[in-house]
Amino acid sequence: MVKLPNIQRGKIYIMLAILSWLALLFVDLVRLFGEINQMEGDISQEITWILEIIFFIILYIYFNDSINKKEHSNFLNLIWRAASTGLIATAVSFLIIYFYYLLAGSRLSEDPLLRNFFYHVNFALTTVFLISTSLLWKHLILYQKSKAVVQQWQAYEVILLISMFFVLINQESFNYGFMFGLIFLIIYGVILSVNLKWIPYLTFREKWKSILFLVIIIACTTYLLVQMVSYNQKNIHFINLSENLFLLGIFAFVLIYAVFSFLVTLFNLPTSSVFEQKLTEAISFQRLSQSIQPGENEEQVLDILMDSSMSAAYVDAAWLEMHGQDAEGLPARVLHQKFISNGERQELLDLLKNTEPFSGYLKGQTDAKIEYINGKIPHETYQSVLLIPIRANKKVLGDLFLLKEVKDGFNKEMINIISTFVGQTSISIDNYRLLNEAIKNERYREELEIAQRVQRSLLPSELHHNACFEIDGFSAAADEVGGDYYETYRFDPDNFALIIGDVSGKGTSAAFNMSQMKGVFHSLVQLNLRPKDFLTKANNALSRCLEKNNFITTTYYTVNTREKEIHFARAGHCPTLFYSKEAGKSHFLDIKGMGLGIVRNASFDRYLEEGKLSYHPGDVMVLYTDGIVEAKNEKGQEFGYDNLRCLLDRFHALSAREIRMEIITAVYSFVGKDILPDDDYSLLAIKFKA
Amino acid sequence: MLSINKAADRDHLIIELNGEVDASNSVELDEVIQQALSEDSNKILVDGRKLEYISSAGLGVFMSYLEDFQEKNVSFVIFGLNEKVLNVFHILGLDQLIRIRQTQEEAEQALYEV
Repeated sequence: MVKLPNIQRGKIYIMLAILSWLALLFVDLVRLFGEINQMEGDISQEITWILEIIFFIILYIYFNDSINKKEHSNFLNLIWRAASTGLIATAVSFLIIYFYYLLAGSRLSEDPLLRNFFYHVNFALTTVFLISTSLLWKHLILYQKSKAVVQQWQAYEVILLISMFFVLINQESFNYGFMFGLIFLIIYGVILSVNLKWIPYLTFREKWKSILFLVIIIACTTYLLVQMVSYNQKNIHFINLSENLFLLGIFAFVLIYAVFSFLVTLFNLPTSSVFEQKLTEAISFQRLSQSIQPGENEEQVLDILMDSSMSAAYVDAAWLEMHGQDAEGLPARVLHQKFISNGERQELLDLLKNTEPFSGYLKGQTDAKIEYINGKIPHETYQSVLLIPIRANKKVLGDLFLLKEVKDGFNKEMINIISTFVGQTSISIDNYRLLNEAIKNERYREELEIAQRVQRSLLPSELHHNACFEIDGFSAAADEVGGDYYETYRFDPDNFALIIGDVSGKGTSAAFNMSQMKGVFHSLVQLNLRPKDFLTKANNALSRCLEKNNFITTTYYTVNTREKEIHFARAGHCPTLFYSKEAGKSHFLDIKGMGLGIVRNASFDRYLEEGKLSYHPGDVMVLYTDGIVEAKNEKGQEFGYDNLRCLLDRFHALSAREIRMEIITAVYSFVGKDILPDDDYSLLAIKFKA
Repeated sequence: MLSINKAADRDHLIIELNGEVDASNSVELDEVIQQALSEDSNKILVDGRKLEYISSAGLGVFMSYLEDFQEKNVSFVIFGLNEKVLNVFHILGLDQLIRIRQTQEEAEQALYEV
């Protein structure tokens, strides 16, 4: 089916309405002509009625369409539409009367055909007015509709439709059937007319206007009714169109609803301001409760608070004083000040400081948990004062001072609503600060992620080695960044340096010191020093860099694969675990040592020892940091040195990579899944093959 | 968890450590030693019999005062450390710088022998 566009549909309805009216006019005039000339009419009165019904239905559909399109127009516009239509219908009626007045005495004025033509014009305009107005009423009735009301209205429409055809069934006018039908329609109209929910939403001004419009509607409706009925009585020759139950039914409905609306609006006038007040409060509350938008700040929320509180209690003057924020270094200041001068404010503040019950609070003596102080002051202009502290995050941000010229100007309801406003403001400010903090934290987290990436790149991805030994490393930080460090260096194809280190503390500060350690390693390793000298020089360098209570533990090794010799020195680091294939077991290489940065003078080398060992193929060396041996399980037990030693005894035959994996797996399963590691774990496994 | 008790005995001060010293509470230990130094105590005894664990941050605290002790001529002795904690001191090399004794008597003796 082709769907016609809306605009065309409206035009088609108008065309159809005009056509049906013209047909009605033609049929009636022909009938009347026949009646006057006493000709045997072929046209029965049913045709008149049917054309009338068609006219009604087309108009009804047309207005239903056109009003639905203007769904969003306000109530006042709707009522004005009805009133203006009524005025036009009435005006045309008056014009016709005036026309007849001019024609008075002439033959034309007695002509029944002309009179009937004008009667049809009046009828058409009255019908237009009634149908359009009743559909506007429908719109008002269905404002804030419930299902029940919608059903009521639908039933009413069905009843109206039936009432149109009533005339076909009941040929006699004004019998019991007709009266019963009419009374039923009136009662139903009354029932529908109690739906007046739109009225409270009018402002005071709008109410006055709507009263005016309603009076116009009532007057027009009454006039048109009287005029239509008077036609019945005055004219002998005429076609009665008003005997349709539908027409009288909506006459009644339009009139009843207009009267109801008029009365209710009138009686609503005195309480109108209260309703408006409550509406403003609700809106203020909503504005306050919306968390502060990006780009706005706390001051804007406090401004809304001021305005809302002032309008809620009809306040004459007010100011908002913010306390000094020690943490932010802000001095006390007056943020908002309304209808009051600086001098006057100072004067009032001095007065308040000397007046109970304000003095106690203002001098900081009374309990800080006070919610509000309401009292009177001996001032020539202002008689009552309400003081409300504004809190956020349990801290008093400032005080709101509200002043009224009347005595006891603040009643319970006002104080309640203002307290609620203040509470909501506090929540908004709290949320705003939390949000800002969250954003800041997010930024920190991002920075930390960058640090993490940078630091990961400080650990070598590949470890130097040759065919004589395998090496495999692992490192995991407890926090985003860690303080563990290991590195290798190749002097020549047979000579290597190894280092493992652990910076005291953990997290960011440890990470910084670790990168210093890396720098020291790369500078000193090129000098190809003996391990003890290396560490002495490293201590020298780091003593100038590290904070007083920071130190670094490390072990430095040089490996010569031709001689199969290892030289090492230990600077306070966990003793190296060494598996000797010859002995068939592993042991810790415990030599004297001292952490870097502990002794920051030349005597450092006295505390160091240098170890030397020869290795054989199949021997394994494990370097690790204290995070491994001090890893705790949920019972608080430490992983310990013995566990580590036993693991190496068990897995020494595996490759370096497998040994490393076995040990790390063992540590993690010892700690358990539920415990977060609280130290950095690092491990290097070196397996000698030749 | 760490609790620190400070008591004067004759002309020395006993600082008793109870529990674990780690990064989160090493500041408390630092404050106590700082205070002892500012009170001009020149004989300090640390009772470590109930010290269960000490992290590198805790060791850092002792370490950072070594120079002050030397400058102000303060004798500083730790005693009663359990094997595990003693090992931590030993590995780091602090046992070469701080006098560590088994019992309180030995510690007191060491304290007064200077």
